[in-house]
Amino acid sequence: MKTGFHKDILHIQNIDEVVESIVTKLKTDTHNQLKRYGGVVGISGGIDSSCTLALAAKAFGPQRVFSIMLPEKDSSSDSEKLARKLAEKFEVEAIVENISGALTGFGCYERRDQAVRHVFPEYDPASYKMKIGIKSAPQSKLPPVFSVIIIDPDGKEKSAKLSAKDYMQIVAASNFKQRTRMSMLYYHAERLHYAVIGTPNKHEVEQGFFVKYGDGGADIMPIGHLYKTQVYQLSEYLGVPQEIIDRTPTTDTYTAEQTQEEFFYQFPFKTMDLLWYGYENEYHPENVAEVMGYSKEEILDIFSNFKRKQETTAYLRMAPIKW
Amino acid sequence: MKEAVRTYIKENTFKEANKIEDSTLIFQEGFFDSMGFVMLIDFLEEHFQVKTSDEDLVEENFESIDAITAYINRKTNAN
Repeated sequence: MKTGFHKDILHIQNIDEVVESIVTKLKTDTHNQLKRYGGVVGISGGIDSSCTLALAAKAFGPQRVFSIMLPEKDSSSDSEKLARKLAEKFEVEAIVENISGALTGFGCYERRDQAVRHVFPEYDPASYKMKIGIKSAPQSKLPPVFSVIIIDPDGKEKSAKLSAKDYMQIVAASNFKQRTRMSMLYYHAERLHYAVIGTPNKHEVEQGFFVKYGDGGADIMPIGHLYKTQVYQLSEYLGVPQEIIDRTPTTDTYTAEQTQEEFFYQFPFKTMDLLWYGYENEYHPENVAEVMGYSKEEILDIFSNFKRKQETTAYLRMAPIKW
Repeated sequence: MKEAVRTYIKENTFKEANKIEDSTLIFQEGFFDSMGFVMLIDFLEEHFQVKTSDEDLVEENFESIDAITAYINRKTNAN
């Protein structure tokens, strides 16, 4: 096991070379392997899609990148404003495709709300907000359980543990959002003979924080190997607007505001990055514990949770099984 | 009671069921994942008519067939 773990271990020293190498690879793989002329990027005003767009604009030239905002009725209004600012900054064409109608057609909202009402009959989607919560400490040896939180028009919160059936129905219904976005991205990609440039970062890919054939449905993922703090570092270097860099990453999936840390990661990004790096690169738990201010036992529990997350989400990363 | 818990766990793991002993740490050893845990709680609540509170969600109550049986015993005796 390795030692020598330190807090700056993920800081990219030679950022110009790293960016150049990603940009070259994005361009050559898209041309030589995918045989497409440029890239379509779904932009949300979040840091990952912004960094991806900036890289794509550098790789293909702004005229060969097409960006699409894909809001729906639960999206934050800030998202579109920031996404527009981003596209302007990198001189990339941007359009809006509102997917609310398609989602209504799929029954996305109704199916989700039906499961929420099963727990809270008073829930009225017109005036209430909702989100999913996790009940578990990251150091726990037990997997998490999920709760639904509703917020009434007066701002009063109520939370209840979800049964497997209701939880799975809420998730499956909400996943129509990412899968509808993927369909629309491929419509434009095929129309232009471009590739769909995926926006997930390393944590999303490896911990399974993406929807299979939703935001996980793409032809190439230029930041799929980068830790979140590295995505921020690249974004600053590439000139992503400061408002986007300063914004707290949210899920923008449920009607109530929810940070990604609250919903999924359970650690601040800087901490998550370092812990994951220590885990992945097999640093000695005592060394990681000392640097990060945890006990060795806590680090061992965190590492086994990471392992469990990877195993549990392996299905999401699997290609179809063929014989 | 223990037989019902044992049967449920053995029928619902994706790993080799015959390797599960009553004291096997079913989560730590990867016999059940997070959806498996949520479904297990549903099964226990439905089958034994118990209500699991947030405070109940600790290793001591769920880590093995032995632990789950003891937990259900405590819950049903308390009712």
